[in-house]
Amino acid sequence: MAGRRIMLELVSLLVICISQTSHGFTLFSSLNRTLAVDSSATAGQVLKPGEDTITVTWAYKGTDDSSYKTVEIHLCYAPISQKDRGWRRTADNLEKDKTCPLLVVASPYSPSSRNGSFVWLVEEDVPPATYFIRAYALDAGRHRLGYGQTTDDEKATNLFEVVAVTGRHASLAIASACFSAFSVVSFAGLLTAEKIGGKTM
Amino acid sequence: MEIEPPESVVPPPAKFALPVDSEHMATEFRFFSIAKPHMSAFHLSWVSFFTCFVSSFAAPPLIPIIRDDLNLTATDIGNAGIASVSGAVFARLALGAACDVFGPRLASSSLIILTAPAVYFTSIASSPVSFLLVRFFAGFSLATFVSSQFWTSCMFSANLVGTANGLSGGWGNLGGGATQLIMPFVFSVIRDIGAVKFTAWRIAFFIPALLQTVTAFAVLLCGQDLPDGNLQRLHKEGDKPKEDFSKVFYHGISNYRGWILALTYGYCFGVELTVDNIIAEYFYDRFDLKLSTAGIIAATFGLANLFSRPLGGVLSDVVAKRFGMRGRLWTLWTVQTIGGILCVILGRMGSLGASVAVIVAFSIFCQAASGLTYSVVPFVSRRSLGVISGMTGGGGNVGAVVTQLIFFKGSRYSKERGITLMGIMIICCTLPICLIYFPQWGGMLCGPSSNKSFAEEDYYLSEWSSLEKDIGFHHESMKFASNSRSERGKRSVISTTGAASISPSIQV
Repeated sequence: MAGRRIMLELVSLLVICISQTSHGFTLFSSLNRTLAVDSSATAGQVLKPGEDTITVTWAYKGTDDSSYKTVEIHLCYAPISQKDRGWRRTADNLEKDKTCPLLVVASPYSPSSRNGSFVWLVEEDVPPATYFIRAYALDAGRHRLGYGQTTDDEKATNLFEVVAVTGRHASLAIASACFSAFSVVSFAGLLTAEKIGGKTM
Repeated sequence: MEIEPPESVVPPPAKFALPVDSEHMATEFRFFSIAKPHMSAFHLSWVSFFTCFVSSFAAPPLIPIIRDDLNLTATDIGNAGIASVSGAVFARLALGAACDVFGPRLASSSLIILTAPAVYFTSIASSPVSFLLVRFFAGFSLATFVSSQFWTSCMFSANLVGTANGLSGGWGNLGGGATQLIMPFVFSVIRDIGAVKFTAWRIAFFIPALLQTVTAFAVLLCGQDLPDGNLQRLHKEGDKPKEDFSKVFYHGISNYRGWILALTYGYCFGVELTVDNIIAEYFYDRFDLKLSTAGIIAATFGLANLFSRPLGGVLSDVVAKRFGMRGRLWTLWTVQTIGGILCVILGRMGSLGASVAVIVAFSIFCQAASGLTYSVVPFVSRRSLGVISGMTGGGGNVGAVVTQLIFFKGSRYSKERGITLMGIMIICCTLPICLIYFPQWGGMLCGPSSNKSFAEEDYYLSEWSSLEKDIGFHHESMKFASNSRSERGKRSVISTTGAASISPSIQV
């Protein structure tokens, strides 16, 4: 199974090597802020994964939404959580942008009501960091046409935190301690036995 | 002091599965044998080193999960990477000395078992500081490289030592590549069983930790220090003199060749460690690959050790048949310099296909140079073989630390520029090989000493004082000197291979 996965990766690597030409990409700076997005998470609120929920609401406030087909809601890192973390960097080219790691929901855009909402339970594997919510509007070809977010352009206001669920358990600590102690003590015991055995020979 | 002259001691004829020389070191290599003492020592040495490499580099492939769990910054990750290779700098030197005094079986198994707790406790790391500490202490186990090289140098004769050292070092280094495949696989299995990903990575670390524990016991119970037996028993029966640590240490660190090899090893093996730490991220960032794809390229670099490091050792032994030690030194310089040139080219490659091709070639030359280095190390000193092995090995880690600090910390240089500059540094730091000179064999630029009476015995016996020679501590070195005459190359007239006469009036 692992071998098959590796083969698949190698083939996709080969394909990428061969077809290095990049197709058209969207620049974030070319998008208009056509959605008004709001969330129940208030500024500075601390949310616990697996327990707390966020209610996200969005509404269209532009002039031409004829191409809009889907709305995607994303959880995005605030600048403080991107600092000294190149894997979360913001890039204008949305193909290379890593600001928004988590897709919360992708729901069809309703042209009649021009709004929507979603209640999201913060998942347990959401990394501890400071976040805001962003919504993208996409057309039928999955190109991004517009966006909205719960914070301002500088991404400084209305940010909330998700606290850590480290995955540490007491059982892990006990197992580590027991295995370590057993290993070292039994090794020392064997050494001593060898030395005593050597002396009596 | 009652030391009987050797002529009157008649040890029972020992039966060995392989043909041996006068020191009972094997003159033949049989891959699929596990016969004691030679082949069992070989397999235990590379397996134990492999396990330690897996543990020391178990974190890098899981970094994308760990960095989210522990909220690490790029600086935290870089510091932990530097810490993982810096612990072994002194550990390698210390273990080298311990091998000389206690024997490789006890020295390496003790180190492996004492570093296993660091790997167990990685599962409960909770902050950047605790993560750095566990990586630092787990990295001490990389010192088992020295014991593996020492062990094979004790078991295999001069004509084979490059090959044996290259195989045990290379197959051990394989762990650095294997871990890039093992750990993600173990992680995904545990996660599929039902654990949350932030718990799954923690449980995954028990696998390398358990492997380390089992290996330590295997080495202790199944290993044998020397062809004639374990060191403690040989000491008791008077077959081997008990070593004086301070003398062993002094003769090691006062041999300038050890220092030169320590520097040059930093720019083949040290570079390999650096690349292990940065290459997945380099391909991920520069070419926008998926992390798993970048990880496979990173694994390929480490997995080339399967054949490339042994190839260096084999090449050295083949060249030495005709050109002796001078051939070994020339080959080492050439291979390592080509590796440096390929490194310069790698940083300048802008396309993915070309980069992958160059990095494969680079890995072969870089790792072959490591194998070539340890085909020269066994001849630098006989009495202080462990200390010289440890110095050289430690120098490798110093090279890794220095290179990462200068070129790959923070954002002073882009990674591609750092790689090119690292290549230039490899070329410069390989030049000192020209300065290595053995009076009995010559060096790169000069032939052997014009003093024709200076022989291998004179070189190796200079490590023993006349008092020690009177007692008879130097016999092993004498045998080794006789067996190393092949390092003169084809032009040499091989003198009698019988036991060398013990004459106290050898001119030095």
